[in-house]
Amino acid sequence: MAATDVNPTALSLQADLRRKRFLKMGLIWAIVLFFVAWCLQGTIIEDTDWARVGGRSGVLGSIGRYLTLDWGLLPELLIPTLETFMMACVGTVVGCFFSLPVAWLGAANVTPSKMILYPLGRFLMVLSRSVHEIVWALIFVSAVGLGALPGILAIAMRSVGFISKITAEAIENIDAKPVEAIRAVGGNQFQVMYYGILPQIYPVVLATVIFEWDINIRRSAVMGLVGAGGLGLLFFRQMNSFNYGGVSMVILAILLLIVLGEVISHYLRKAVI
Amino acid sequence: MAMQALTRCNAGQATAGRNDMAVLTVKDLRVRYSAKGPEILKGIDFEVEDDDFLAIIGPSGAGKSTLIRCVNRLVEPSGGSIHLLGEDVCSLNARALRGLRRNVGMIFQEFNLINRMSVMDNVLSGRLGYTGNIRSLFRAFPRKDVEQALYYLDRVGLSDHINKRADELSGGQRQRVGIARALMQAPKLLLLDEPTSALDPKISREVMALIRDIALELKVPALCNIHDVQLAKEFCNRIIGLQDGYKKFDGATDTLRDSDLDDIYAMEVL
Repeated sequence: MAATDVNPTALSLQADLRRKRFLKMGLIWAIVLFFVAWCLQGTIIEDTDWARVGGRSGVLGSIGRYLTLDWGLLPELLIPTLETFMMACVGTVVGCFFSLPVAWLGAANVTPSKMILYPLGRFLMVLSRSVHEIVWALIFVSAVGLGALPGILAIAMRSVGFISKITAEAIENIDAKPVEAIRAVGGNQFQVMYYGILPQIYPVVLATVIFEWDINIRRSAVMGLVGAGGLGLLFFRQMNSFNYGGVSMVILAILLLIVLGEVISHYLRKAVI
Repeated sequence: MAMQALTRCNAGQATAGRNDMAVLTVKDLRVRYSAKGPEILKGIDFEVEDDDFLAIIGPSGAGKSTLIRCVNRLVEPSGGSIHLLGEDVCSLNARALRGLRRNVGMIFQEFNLINRMSVMDNVLSGRLGYTGNIRSLFRAFPRKDVEQALYYLDRVGLSDHINKRADELSGGQRQRVGIARALMQAPKLLLLDEPTSALDPKISREVMALIRDIALELKVPALCNIHDVQLAKEFCNRIIGLQDGYKKFDGATDTLRDSDLDDIYAMEVL
């Protein structure tokens, strides 16, 4: 069959279809491009102080100031670095502690009340995650004052959402058979949870807690920006006194701490799973 | 030592057995899982005497599992009455129900073991009904429980596997762990929910023989769901036939005729 023998109706239908698709694609692209241009106009073009940016040398010069290191700051770094690390650890532990009841409320198959407490548990999970750690820190600084304590509380509150959500999901996915067995031997509510549920969820929960601890080291490094202790406070002071070499030193310390956390959590996770 | 404990236990059961009342009396038992759902059991009556090894046979969906789970109220009956060891099962509060459940050993189709725990801890979990929360938290079971567990593990032939994780064992071995766990309760009734249907024919026969021998030895009556009629005839002294929530047959094993079986399994032929 030669190419000219095709059914003319099919051909015209095809041509029609393709023209329509071409127009549709063109329209979508036009909308996307317009939207991006509009955003650029609103943010960068109108909002930037172009005189302040100056020439190329100005920008590079400003960035270059950070490339020096203020080694004199070294002795002052040790304590805040340690404090940052401790805040992350204690914050994670406290967060786990609060996660347990929230997970219990928010797991559909074990919640004490499906009508009231289950939605409450789910709401607490969302609340914990939808408020940024800095905002939590601001709230706790105004509640308990400056120092590491508000930082720990902020980290704990921020951790609850993720840990309890994963835990609740793990509880919802358990195999019901061991639970039935523990109920059948006359086990009480605690024994059913401890023997029937916990052995099934603990690998998942432990891996999640280690992951959260790793993230919490990052979080605790910025807590000081709002007065909640750790390296962030030192960072804030160096920035305010225009000591750019000092700022770089603090960033370096944060980097080392995070690498350390990464290494530790890697081996911990291996040990758990 | 463990043997002595066992003998004492037997003596206790033997005296209890002399009561004229049946161990288990079920009257007009009805179950529906939801208010509008179909009725799964439609008025079942039967009794278990203290020397019974009673089989419940019937096609899939007849209500065998539901029936057996009503006895220790893993499933809530919606009508009728159940009297077990002289107590009205349906009227018990949560605490009394736990007290009753620990007297009833249950063996499951899929073993229902805690996979991440050792064989020993699984067997000891049979004692949880007698164990306080603090001891449970640290898995600190009394010494006599550990001795008893070692004895039963030996009895079911698992002495070489005590510290293995439950999920490392084969199907037949896992069911033996399930049997030892049920025995740890010092049960006064055994509920067996299809104990062999996850096992191959040879192992099935071994496991059934083991359960029957132990039940005879400890003088514990047993109520056994089983879909394999051959096994039921071979190991059980009485048979109840269920079909679609109704009792179709109830009598000694040697009175079960082929026409009864045709009746019980009539729905399946269609």
